[in-house]
Amino acid sequence: MKKQFLKAGMLGLLIAGFLSHTAWAQSDPTGKRRVTSTYAITNATIFAAPGQQGTKGTVLFRDGVILGMGSNLSLPKDAQVIPGDSLFIYPGFIDGAGNMGITKPKDLERPKDLITSNPPDEIAGITPWRSATEQFSITGNQVDDWRKTGFTVTQVLPDGGMLPGKSSIMVLGNSGSVNVLQENAALAANFRGSRGMYPATLAGVMAKFRDVYQNTTLALDHSKMYASTAGVKRPELTPTQMGMASVVQKQIPVIFTASSDLEVRRAIALQKELGFKLILTGLENYESVIDLIKTSGTPVLIKLQVPDDKAIKSQKSEGITEDTKAQYERVKEAYDKALKQASLLEKAGIPFGFSTVDTKPGDAMKAVQTLIKNGLSEKAALAALTTNPASILGINRVAGTIEKGKMANFVISTDSIFKEDAQIKHVVADGYVFNYELKKKAAKEAEKTENGSAAVSVEGIWEYTSETPAGSSGGEISIKKEGTGYSGTISYDDPSGSGKVTAPIKNAVVSGKTLTFEFDVAAGGMNLTVSISGEISGSSMEGTMSVAQFGSFPLTAKLSSPSLTL
Amino acid sequence: MKKLNILFAALLGLGLNYSYAQTPKGSVLIKNATVLTVTKGNLQNADVLVQDGIIKQVGQNLTAPSGVQTIDATGKYVMPGIIDAHSHVALDVINEASAPITSEVRMKDVVNPFEIGIYRALAGGVTISHAMHGSANVIGGQNATLKHRWGAKDPAEIIMQDAPRTIKFALGENPTRVHGRGNGIQPRTRMGVEAVLRNGFNEALQYKKAWETYNTAKTQKGNTVTPPVYSERLQTLADILDGKIIVHCHSYRADEIYMLINVAKDFGIKKLVFQHTNEGFKVAPEIAEYTMGASVFADWWAYKMEVYYSTAYNAAILQRNGAITSINSDSAELIRHLYHEAAKTQRYGGLTDDEALAMITLNPAKQLGIDDKVGSIEVGKQADLVIFEGHPLSSYAVPQMTFVDGVKYFDIKTDKDDQRQYVSASEMVEPIFLHGEENHQCLQDVDAYFEAFQGAFFEHKH
Repeated sequence: MKKQFLKAGMLGLLIAGFLSHTAWAQSDPTGKRRVTSTYAITNATIFAAPGQQGTKGTVLFRDGVILGMGSNLSLPKDAQVIPGDSLFIYPGFIDGAGNMGITKPKDLERPKDLITSNPPDEIAGITPWRSATEQFSITGNQVDDWRKTGFTVTQVLPDGGMLPGKSSIMVLGNSGSVNVLQENAALAANFRGSRGMYPATLAGVMAKFRDVYQNTTLALDHSKMYASTAGVKRPELTPTQMGMASVVQKQIPVIFTASSDLEVRRAIALQKELGFKLILTGLENYESVIDLIKTSGTPVLIKLQVPDDKAIKSQKSEGITEDTKAQYERVKEAYDKALKQASLLEKAGIPFGFSTVDTKPGDAMKAVQTLIKNGLSEKAALAALTTNPASILGINRVAGTIEKGKMANFVISTDSIFKEDAQIKHVVADGYVFNYELKKKAAKEAEKTENGSAAVSVEGIWEYTSETPAGSSGGEISIKKEGTGYSGTISYDDPSGSGKVTAPIKNAVVSGKTLTFEFDVAAGGMNLTVSISGEISGSSMEGTMSVAQFGSFPLTAKLSSPSLTL
Repeated sequence: MKKLNILFAALLGLGLNYSYAQTPKGSVLIKNATVLTVTKGNLQNADVLVQDGIIKQVGQNLTAPSGVQTIDATGKYVMPGIIDAHSHVALDVINEASAPITSEVRMKDVVNPFEIGIYRALAGGVTISHAMHGSANVIGGQNATLKHRWGAKDPAEIIMQDAPRTIKFALGENPTRVHGRGNGIQPRTRMGVEAVLRNGFNEALQYKKAWETYNTAKTQKGNTVTPPVYSERLQTLADILDGKIIVHCHSYRADEIYMLINVAKDFGIKKLVFQHTNEGFKVAPEIAEYTMGASVFADWWAYKMEVYYSTAYNAAILQRNGAITSINSDSAELIRHLYHEAAKTQRYGGLTDDEALAMITLNPAKQLGIDDKVGSIEVGKQADLVIFEGHPLSSYAVPQMTFVDGVKYFDIKTDKDDQRQYVSASEMVEPIFLHGEENHQCLQDVDAYFEAFQGAFFEHKH
């Protein structure tokens, strides 16, 4: 009896809680709740799919689903009307593979007794069980900036080592919604070796990939036996094998980052040997493998960028030798060829998409325009931004075009999207409308100069990696402004064994966007000065690490924490 | 039944051919040269006819079939393409230095056909190089035998697909420094190196047995034997024990050379070649008796403690003791003039022309297991040929043309200044300075430094 009374009381409390919750929601103290989820963009020019002519009409959508489009739709009473006169509507862009909004999980601390020749998978960057969903945040500038560029869906790749985890397909809608379209969409993979342990190099990574794959196959065979036969010893699937199972069973593809033609060949060679499903991403230099991509039927996502023209622009016209002139010509030729690659993919009939990894939102549409100037058709460019990635990601039923029943993802611009002066006025993602202020041209110019002269911010903790012929190494750089100069420390792999040592940095100078500094390494009775020079853009830095006599090695760094108070 | 078998074999053969990248094969008639066959003496005013990449005829007054180009080599010398049994040219990675045994690692995975070193080697008459894993580990990775088909974009096209598998071993200071001193694990000493080898092979025997047990059991009804863990590392060691792979072992001191011979005997390993082998002259009879010989430097030593006891007579002593002996480069620079290196065996040891030339042709071919295909000018062999101005063992020798499978990849007359296959679109063009110092001298003082960074800045190749 008593118990029942208690139960009734609990129920009452629950109901009360529920009611009060509803009451809260109704008053909406945030003020952000939208009045309606039904919208109509009227009298706009609609480009429903790549290659289609623009048609004047209205697009009507509710709860993130397109209800209809055309010139004589009757609009429901609750529809909020967005006047679309003189505006152009395109399907929302889809990022085939990105890392926007992804925060790298903190590196595990190396155990003191770590055996570097056979480290635990998690420390060696083999974490196929991880999900990008856990590393993704829709709030923050990165997603905002890409959405502003027109992107409404992204497949985010997790950050980590050679097998960092599984990707997730996200819609870039409201921050309050669950935005996962598909979790565990693909297993991310790359040729990145592990720092100071096995597998340290490309060669080790390829061997380790085979090892992990083959042992997952065997572990699954074992499990099958266990399920059907008595007296079989208990299978012990490791987290790695459980994470790899869906790949081995060919339920999901491996999305391999392969920037060069050689990397493309290596990934396809592994695929042919082991038989998994493959998507290639991050392609930069691929002219010589277009036939291979075609014949192997591998879906590809190319980097949404064009090569840096710094080298081209720095070429001098006077006071140079004939030899230098000839070398200039070859760089120019390589540059021109690089810009034409996308058009060659189109000519070969390969339906490629784009990847936003390592690219800047502000340069994205400029890059597309450059590709179009170099032979890519507007139709193929739009397909690469919409229908192609939708098919590659397996979401073409719900995304990629403007059609009744598909997701309400649109880019709405002031002009044809590929025109230089076109500005994006609204982006609709998952039926949520994001409005952007149009810039006047003069204002745009003013802002440009302002940005150019503004000093970059270098203060904070940077995580760096440098690529050397024997693998990657790295650590942390922490930098603080002191008076007119900068001070700080850098950590690096200990010369006399394992672990890290920290050294003070000296001669730190920031000039324009470039940070340079030096530090001393004592090794084997010698003192060596290592100089680092990097160009900063936002929270990332690219440059070189060089040691006198030894040469220089590429270095990249990310600002992991802009504050030094830890 | 017999017919069916033949048909089947033909089909298999066909399938095999298709699985290889189709490599270019050329036809050419080289006229009026002094032909240095290496195996069949020197022929004056002789012609070599090549068709579809194969040497079809060697003799006088040969006529070119229609469509076959004739090259007049009057006053010039023709020799077999030079073979370098120890090289690291055209590899994107050399050392997976992170474990004492990394036999699962394949150099074929990391071949880079764009590396300019290939063209430079061709300009020195080298048509085949043995692209080896580095010497950081007791048992390193599996090597790749490369044919220098310059201009190929697919790594598979420069890999000599019909060459047998080989693997890199290393004894002495390098593996003990990287793993023992650098990482605090076995091997810290030469005794540790032997222990790593013996433990490795014993594990491989157990591995092989475990798989045999499983494979026998799995077809039986009600089987409860589960599959063993897959390990390409141990499988590769088992393949060595089964004679499927030729071991090429980096070594310097006589004691460690003799140690490996004993280990090989104990485990029944017969395909064994020593690399560097600076103290080989001390154990030349043992090397001759039990192994496929030694591949040595002509006169390069004293770049670290274990390489002080050396002599330029090493190659000649090994040769005259009946060991198969080759001269290698292990260097992107030396590879350009291996014919000079071979000639040094005449100055130090008085070897004959044929013996000296065999050091860079037939003998390395034997050590790589490809002497039935290349290494001499004989009818039926692959047409890897070099035309020299001057006798190749003369100080004034200059390679004029280099052919691989009858295709000309180097011609001194059409040698462009910039032969690069690949140029980066964002490359800064900067002035080039020639260093006054040799690379290996540089390395001497920085051993500790690069060891500290575990090879992060430097890779020790020798």
